[in-house]
Amino acid sequence: MLTVANISVRRGAAVTLRDLSLSLAPGRTLAVVGESGAGKSTLIGAILGLVRCSAGQVDWNAAPVSKCRPALVMQEPRAAFNPRLSLRRSVMEPVLAQKLAMDSDRLERLCRGLELQPDLLDRRPDQVSIGQAQRIGILRALIAAPPLVLFDEPLSALDAVTQKHTARLIADMQRQEGFAALIVTHDLGYAAAYADEIAVLRAGKIEEYAATQAFVDAPQSEYGRKLRGAAFALGALERVA
Amino acid sequence: MNIQANGLCAERSGRIILHPTDVNLKPGERVGLVGASGSGKSTLGHELVDGLRARGTRVAHVPQSPDEALDPLRTMAFHWRETEHALGHAPDTVRRDVLFHALQIEGGDLRKRPWGWSRGMQQRFVIAMALIGTPELLVMDEPTSALDPVVAAGTMDLLEAYLKKRQTALLLITHDLGLAARRVSRLMVMDAGRVVEDAPTARILSAPVTPAAKALCAHRNWLELPC
Amino acid sequence: MIGLVAGLFLRAFVVLTGTALATFALLWHAPGDPALSIAQARYGTIVSDEVLDFIRAEAGFEDGFWTAFWAWLAPLVQGDFGQSSVNGRDVWPNLVTAMSYTFPLAIFSLGIGLAISVPLALIATRKPGSWMDRGAVALASVGVAIPAFWLGLLLILLFAVQLGWLPAMGAETTAHSVLPALTLGFGVAASMTRIIRSGILEARGQPFLPAFYRRGVASRDIARDHVAPHAAVPVITVLGLELAFLLEGLVVVEVIFARPGLGSFLVHAIFARDFPKVQAVVILTAVIFVVVNLVIDLVYRSLDPRLDVRDA
Repeated sequence: MLTVANISVRRGAAVTLRDLSLSLAPGRTLAVVGESGAGKSTLIGAILGLVRCSAGQVDWNAAPVSKCRPALVMQEPRAAFNPRLSLRRSVMEPVLAQKLAMDSDRLERLCRGLELQPDLLDRRPDQVSIGQAQRIGILRALIAAPPLVLFDEPLSALDAVTQKHTARLIADMQRQEGFAALIVTHDLGYAAAYADEIAVLRAGKIEEYAATQAFVDAPQSEYGRKLRGAAFALGALERVA
Repeated sequence: MNIQANGLCAERSGRIILHPTDVNLKPGERVGLVGASGSGKSTLGHELVDGLRARGTRVAHVPQSPDEALDPLRTMAFHWRETEHALGHAPDTVRRDVLFHALQIEGGDLRKRPWGWSRGMQQRFVIAMALIGTPELLVMDEPTSALDPVVAAGTMDLLEAYLKKRQTALLLITHDLGLAARRVSRLMVMDAGRVVEDAPTARILSAPVTPAAKALCAHRNWLELPC
Repeated sequence: MIGLVAGLFLRAFVVLTGTALATFALLWHAPGDPALSIAQARYGTIVSDEVLDFIRAEAGFEDGFWTAFWAWLAPLVQGDFGQSSVNGRDVWPNLVTAMSYTFPLAIFSLGIGLAISVPLALIATRKPGSWMDRGAVALASVGVAIPAFWLGLLLILLFAVQLGWLPAMGAETTAHSVLPALTLGFGVAASMTRIIRSGILEARGQPFLPAFYRRGVASRDIARDHVAPHAAVPVITVLGLELAFLLEGLVVVEVIFARPGLGSFLVHAIFARDFPKVQAVVILTAVIFVVVNLVIDLVYRSLDPRLDVRDA
């Protein structure tokens, strides 16, 4: 269970996160939605222990988060890999780093689940499509069976059709693996379709934190209503009779 | 008079990325050019703008990101003046105020360079610049992808109102059928460098024919909610 | 902004103190008896031990390194370069004379370097990869590899000995500075051509340029208002380094062409172990270097103020 309790982050004189609390159980999905500059990436940094909190605490089962070896899926699929290494080598990095036994059955099973031809892994990052690269990024995140996976705008580099395909695969993998997923996104449509809970982040503060259905039906905050309106105006959400 | 360009095509390092294509828009018509990434949408947009410009049609192009439209070493005022000059217009602060008002960027400091403005403001500044020459056609490449959703929705609404008043045609290039479906009356679906389907929006949404159009329609929205 | 200026001054202070200390230590620990060298420079003959002791006491060699260092540094901070160990005269007037020969030569060379490299880079980048481009790059590579002393001798052989068009030795007229300036200018041109060329190519690849063509801005205006400033940024950055090479080359060239100036001043001072003179040249060079780099830094920041934003 991930517990983020009253954390604040300062950068110089500016406060980038203020008094922020979240919790996330295994097998569940929490979407943190907000505009650029809202503090989404800082939040990920704070959870991973890469950014120091000036107040508050982040735990996984009452121990530091780093103990549970969380994984991160990044926004730019190709930039997330060393361009000189084969993708297979990059994918196995978490296994090597944690000195785990190489489990080729698991690799094969994950590849099948992510709809990846195993021979794609012998290529280099620039020899696969962006959609494939992102699925391989997810493969790398899951290979060492982490209990917590953070997704930093996992779909924003993909086109609309690939986005929906990838989102479904992430959800399938989660059902299979049971990890807790924290998804940072600017796309309320994605959050509404796949998250159990939605936290709306704005200027470093949580404006609204609610179950997805309740939020989509009736956002309580002014900004939440604006986000919902924009999702309809841009066709991410659709009203049907 | 219709806006028309025939036989647009392009190749890159010996590979054809755009097969010969004709584009035809009625004045004031709003058309969506949709397709997966790499299908040749942006290339068709570029070829259309360059082709029409060469023939003297007033056409403006708004790239996907303000980074592809503004020089980070030059002030906003410089960009504006330069564009007026390129169009052969004398400096006209009234016109500028009208456009800034229409896109709600009156607050921007023109002495600053692009990175002194927020990205949402930059993108709207680029759109305002595109409108200086009262174009007959505005081509926008993924206009919302650089913007936050709230700003993107607001910008599209402001722009639509402005274009409707002037009978300016719009070609909206996007990978997102959900976005296009809400904004345009006709859709052109691209796949592997060809326009494979060209029909009114309602027809494509209800009965897509080609696999590309079917895929786009099947993944149009994230969620459909009852009214 | 205040932090920025303070940082720049701190940097300058560290560079100057470091240079002063390093040169003094090098001279101090150089092999051989400095008093003997001074005596030979002063009297041109073998002298008695009493005279050597006298020179040692006079130059402060017996008080230990730090005392001697401080004895030299304290007046310097007040702008007093001290007196020559050899002839006892003030160093400053001699230094001014030397500079009056060296600075015009340096500027002349830099001018020649730019006059060659800018057009060459423009021609080369007209069609990247063409034979003209490859030729320019090859020429520049050869130019960088040629040492100044060799080029200088070659120019003397050709223009002074064979053709007899230009004087080779001395510095009486402007004609005397043509060959030394060419020698240095070619070296500057060689390295600048490569930097300007890659600067232009990089600037032409900027992602926003196609939008300017589509907006109907004339190619000439784009080249002047957008490509040139972007190409200038890396060029300005390396101008400071270029100056260091130029100063180094000046020493060699002044010796080859038997010109008075900072280079010959320095070489003579080193041979005579004339501490105050050597120190004066080194400190002066360091000051020039620091000031030029400060100016470059400020120009760079005014051209691309993003640097300040990133610092903040």
